[in-house]
Amino acid sequence: MKQHLYIEMDNCIGCRSCLAACTQCGGHDERNRNYVYDVNPLVDRQTIPLMCLHCVNPACARSCPAQAIQVTEEGAVLSALVEKCIGCQNCTIACPYGIPKFDEEQNLMYKCDLCYDRTKEGIPPMCASVCPTNTLQWLTEEELAAKKAQHQMGKWTASRDFLDPLEGETNVKISLPGIIQGKQKLFV
Amino acid sequence: MPKDKFFKEIANKTHPNEKLVATHCSYCGMQCGMNLRVDTSSNKIIGVEPRYDWPVTLGKMCPKGVTAYQQTNHKDRLLRPLIRDDASKKGTKEGFREASWEEALDLIERRFKELQAKHGKDTLSVFSGVSMTNEKCYLTGKFARLALQTRYIDYNGRFCMSSAAAGFLRTFGVDRGSTLPWTDLHETDCLFIAGSNTAECHPTSMFRIWEVQNRGGYLIVVDPRETPLARRADIHLDLRPGTDLALANCMVNLIIQNGHADKSFVESHTNGFQELLEVVKEFTPEYTSEITGVAPEKLIRAAEIYGKAPEAVVMFARGIEQQHKGADNVSAYTNMALVTGKIGRPKSGVATFTGQGNGQGGREHGQKSDLLPGYRKITNPKHVEEICEVWGLDPEEMPGPGVSAYEMFELMEQKTIRGLYLLCSNPVVSAPNVNYVRAVMKDLDFMVCSDIYLSESAEYADVVLPTTTWAEDEGTVTNLEGRIIKINKAQEPVGESKPDWQIEIEIAERLGRGKYFSHLKTAKDISDEFRLATKGGYADYYGATWEKIDRQHGVFWPCKDEADPGTPHMFLDKQFYHPDGKAKLCALPYRPPAEEPCETYPLRLTTGRVVYHYLSGNQTRRIPFLRDMCPEPYVEVHPETAAAYGIAHEEVVRLHTRRGEMSCKVKVTEAIRPDTVFVPYHFGHDDSVNLLTIPALDPMSRMPEFKACAAQINKLESASSPLTKATGG
Repeated sequence: MKQHLYIEMDNCIGCRSCLAACTQCGGHDERNRNYVYDVNPLVDRQTIPLMCLHCVNPACARSCPAQAIQVTEEGAVLSALVEKCIGCQNCTIACPYGIPKFDEEQNLMYKCDLCYDRTKEGIPPMCASVCPTNTLQWLTEEELAAKKAQHQMGKWTASRDFLDPLEGETNVKISLPGIIQGKQKLFV
Repeated sequence: MPKDKFFKEIANKTHPNEKLVATHCSYCGMQCGMNLRVDTSSNKIIGVEPRYDWPVTLGKMCPKGVTAYQQTNHKDRLLRPLIRDDASKKGTKEGFREASWEEALDLIERRFKELQAKHGKDTLSVFSGVSMTNEKCYLTGKFARLALQTRYIDYNGRFCMSSAAAGFLRTFGVDRGSTLPWTDLHETDCLFIAGSNTAECHPTSMFRIWEVQNRGGYLIVVDPRETPLARRADIHLDLRPGTDLALANCMVNLIIQNGHADKSFVESHTNGFQELLEVVKEFTPEYTSEITGVAPEKLIRAAEIYGKAPEAVVMFARGIEQQHKGADNVSAYTNMALVTGKIGRPKSGVATFTGQGNGQGGREHGQKSDLLPGYRKITNPKHVEEICEVWGLDPEEMPGPGVSAYEMFELMEQKTIRGLYLLCSNPVVSAPNVNYVRAVMKDLDFMVCSDIYLSESAEYADVVLPTTTWAEDEGTVTNLEGRIIKINKAQEPVGESKPDWQIEIEIAERLGRGKYFSHLKTAKDISDEFRLATKGGYADYYGATWEKIDRQHGVFWPCKDEADPGTPHMFLDKQFYHPDGKAKLCALPYRPPAEEPCETYPLRLTTGRVVYHYLSGNQTRRIPFLRDMCPEPYVEVHPETAAAYGIAHEEVVRLHTRRGEMSCKVKVTEAIRPDTVFVPYHFGHDDSVNLLTIPALDPMSRMPEFKACAAQINKLESASSPLTKATGG
């Protein structure tokens, strides 16, 4: 059963538990591979996480001259293969979201692999497992469909279509801030 | 308890050559479920896995929880006892030498006996904490009363939960921090949250809180700062620090005026309505706005929403409790639930966010200066007799009530107390007015500190004893819901460290009091005696066996016997714990903070927490991820205030109050009132904001007013201006 990482940015409290948890995934060498940004730090406490969106046609993999970036059948875009990566850093430039990180010492790109050693067993990635706010969720197709009905994701998400400034369809789905605006209240 | 909507059946991730030990976090009152990863060849803790089947938190953890496992095999662990022969080095890390347990305990025995022979039993004191199991908390109370035979024991809950306890006792006649389980929270229609930076202090509550809004319910937040919780609130009541009592009275006044009071509930189940009405009626939105600085229309709308909500929960935390009227604030906000009858049923009620891991259980069972196990009073002869029967003690021998935590320091200054046994606490960081606390601790005749690391307070000790982390022992903890849960042992203690209960028993034996302690060989033995000691008290744990805790995913107290499943919801029968079964509506006139801003100290200083640190930071400041995320204190300043003082973002400034001073970087943010500045308190030595805070104590709870005092802010070049010199110190 295919499941999706889904990001509801409005929920983020900036605790960076996702960063701490990323280091705990078996294949991650205790280095985190995701990001949390302060949106407007001098004004308010809004923060948003950014993880690899696992593009259906990933620019990082397309840009790789060594075919070091594999895509699994579930759609997880993996970290560079140690034996193939030539350290050219094309991928870090190609990625529209700035996801791949580069280890100068090892001359090796590393990035979010959607905790593939967990998700291939149907266990949620570490970031979505620990997220205290449900900013990061691991959803079935049906759950995702319910979210789409609720939050008009097509209108909001960064992965809308090729006319969007951010290119292409992604396996990770996003609801941008604003999900509770205009929400029908239980009473007034 | 049925599984809630967030529950998913998820298998645990297993790793080769490892086993998982199901337990809970070492830190806050949420007590998030976690699995510790233990290497089966070294038998050491090496990591963490989510505990997806824990019904309260479902695998979720904050960054402290994710990295908590790193404490146990940390390089800073104390592995052997330390002795300092040169008392002139007190107050520093210098002069300690490693010693055997034999030598350390010999010295403790000799010095304790000498001091008591010369100055009486009460010359010794115990200062304890509640980041440890019920079994340890229980035994520490027994240790003070029976082994040291002193009246002077108190604990760091005086800086944490004592106002909630005092307020609830007065209002309900019972102090269980939450009247309902956390799994109800997301199903309510309105959350009214006052003085809780929930997103940073109890982050794993947040998915339930956001769900209230996702369902179309309301979130009302009372806080001087626009915290990550307040950022998304439907209404943010951005009050001046220390003015909660006026705001709560205004809410009650408007609720009554709007016709949202439940007259039949008030009539049948409460006392004091007329007196309450007399006090709150002057708190019009306009008058309340003058005191609190909150716009009248926001006050009106908040009261309307809470009043209209079919189900609602009033919640609060240290923001309202760490004031010199903290107990009054608790009773005043609780009045909202009682006047509307939104209590004593599922999805409605009142809850405080308990701070420490065992802040609930640790305050119930005899570490408090006037309490005995089961929430019995040491001043009640019947209660004393009940405990003496369990302990095999002549009631005549039971010491009388002592004094509160901060007042113990005053008795140290007066030399009434000359010796201190400190465990599970770091008061030279967490007490108010720490210049004073440091001076009196330095001047003690003899001090023992038990800790896992060399804390800032251990720097004042003559003997430091290495104790175990939470993962090296087992026992129960009572989480913020009032749910008794089980902490499991994941590895053997490192070095020569021992659990605090074992150390206390060994000292008791050396003091010739073994007959009260030597039968306790394991944490389980203590648990069995402890449950018996609570039997018949209103915090009754007698039926909460370890087996039942495992089987039921925890047991809510009271749990009176084997057949009793426990009490997730309090007051379902609308019976409160006062003799007539009614709750007390408290009529509470407003009092301003003990220290209001003046010409010299024009700003309001408030203190609090960040998500990356726990309490005094003795644990979390040693964890690389957490330290990297927040390495030092800072002061939050509104841009208007920063402009007025000519200070810039990240500039280092000097803060002064009448009690002390500190330097830190400025964090400019619009998320704070212009008349208020905020500093997190988790840091030691010169970085401790408690150098500045005021020891104005609540008359009921003896809670210091950490949340409001008057301060000035100075650019560094003007830090030694004549103005400062004239008023400092």
